[in-house]
Amino acid sequence: MTSPEQSELSPSSVWPWVVMAVAGLVTFVAAMSVSPDAVQGQLSRIMYVHVPAAWLAYLAFGITMFGSAMYLWKKSLKWDRLAHSSAEIGVFFTGLAIALGMTWAKPTWGVWWTWDARLTLTAIMFFVYLGYLALRRTTDNLEVRAKRASILGVVAIIQVPLVHFSVVWWRSLHQAPTIIRPEGPDMDTSMVVTLLIAVASFTVMYVAMMIKRMELAHLEDEITIEEQSHQGPAAGDAVVAPDLAGGV
Amino acid sequence: MTGFWTQAFTITRRDLLRERRSGEVLWVTLPFGAIALLLVPLAIGTDTRTLEAIGLGMFWVIVMLFGVLIAVRQTNTETQAQRDQVALAGIDPAAAYVGRSLASFLLLVVFETVLVFVTIVLYDIPLVGFEWMPLVILLVAAGLSLLGTLAAGIVSTGRSAAALVPLLVAPLSVPLLIGATQTFESLRYGRSSLAWILMMTIVTLLLGVAGVLSARTLQETG
Repeated sequence: MTSPEQSELSPSSVWPWVVMAVAGLVTFVAAMSVSPDAVQGQLSRIMYVHVPAAWLAYLAFGITMFGSAMYLWKKSLKWDRLAHSSAEIGVFFTGLAIALGMTWAKPTWGVWWTWDARLTLTAIMFFVYLGYLALRRTTDNLEVRAKRASILGVVAIIQVPLVHFSVVWWRSLHQAPTIIRPEGPDMDTSMVVTLLIAVASFTVMYVAMMIKRMELAHLEDEITIEEQSHQGPAAGDAVVAPDLAGGV
Repeated sequence: MTGFWTQAFTITRRDLLRERRSGEVLWVTLPFGAIALLLVPLAIGTDTRTLEAIGLGMFWVIVMLFGVLIAVRQTNTETQAQRDQVALAGIDPAAAYVGRSLASFLLLVVFETVLVFVTIVLYDIPLVGFEWMPLVILLVAAGLSLLGTLAAGIVSTGRSAAALVPLLVAPLSVPLLIGATQTFESLRYGRSSLAWILMMTIVTLLLGVAGVLSARTLQETG
């Protein structure tokens, strides 16, 4: 068993932070190097963080489903930790995608929020996974928590295709698919390349964040087990068996 | 022990008997839903054209929000001791899930049927495509009852269970809400609504499969 002190000294505790910083820097440099959009100007640079954040949300919730399904199959807590860590990161990036989208929408559409299918369904997906995280806090029993959360982790994935295809199914204000479409990307090549660099950097960042979060989740589980193994004094503990032999 | 469906119907009968004694759905939730439909015009104004346009949408929103209360009512009514007794009686957890869902389904069908008439009367909504209404009511009731029973099973004994279940069910019921509203929206504009019906059917089937497959695991969590 690795103690918290040992974990802090292990090599993995440093390099994920370095990877996250480098991935963030690469995205920043790429987004600032490309020419601004002819119509939207500097505002278009938001896209290089907004799109990768949305992609990471899909990826993270997909991994949550995978981890949940694997837990239900294998009953190993490491899969539950994978699902939990990924859901937490997914919620963060969903929130980031929503916040950046709203920042872009105000100068472009004139409002922070509009009742567009993509926006509304993304917000609902955010709440579904917040519910998943809330559910995990309802019990301290690791096995019970893992079983319940895993079932929700599998069911909740239904939101992802709903969000993704919302721009196809409804007349949406939100942009329709621009990169992955049968006719090829509908975007300048330099912008496509920058976007792909940002997506790749964010994916690497996700892996680094997952490593750190799973280490933390492992420690949290160990602390919970440790706390639960320390039983408090029970009634009757002070009572000892009488010495019937009358020994000295 | 008896067969799967006998066990399921026993649980359904138990839940319906409990409802007959308490009247929680028919005498509390249903009037509460009707009151909500009455309050909307007070809040947005009494322009009849606006009310006509939003009436059906309001109906489905109220079905979703109040239907959740019906679908998850066992979190409040069923104690741990009762759940243990069902388990010790050797009832198949999947049969118990189906039985509970079936009871919720029947109550939801009654709830929706009454409220749709209330909506027609209060909002004077156009009855375009209403021949599809029975099917949509059945699909929404089935989906919501399966989802609610599953969520109630997931949260059953945790901290703040009663508060958490609606938080889980309301967002996850969105595919049903979208399917129900878009079915009539499509029909109003002369388009086919089969894609939306199909979506609701698939979601309902997926929820049913998820509930049956996870029933034993959830029973183990107590």
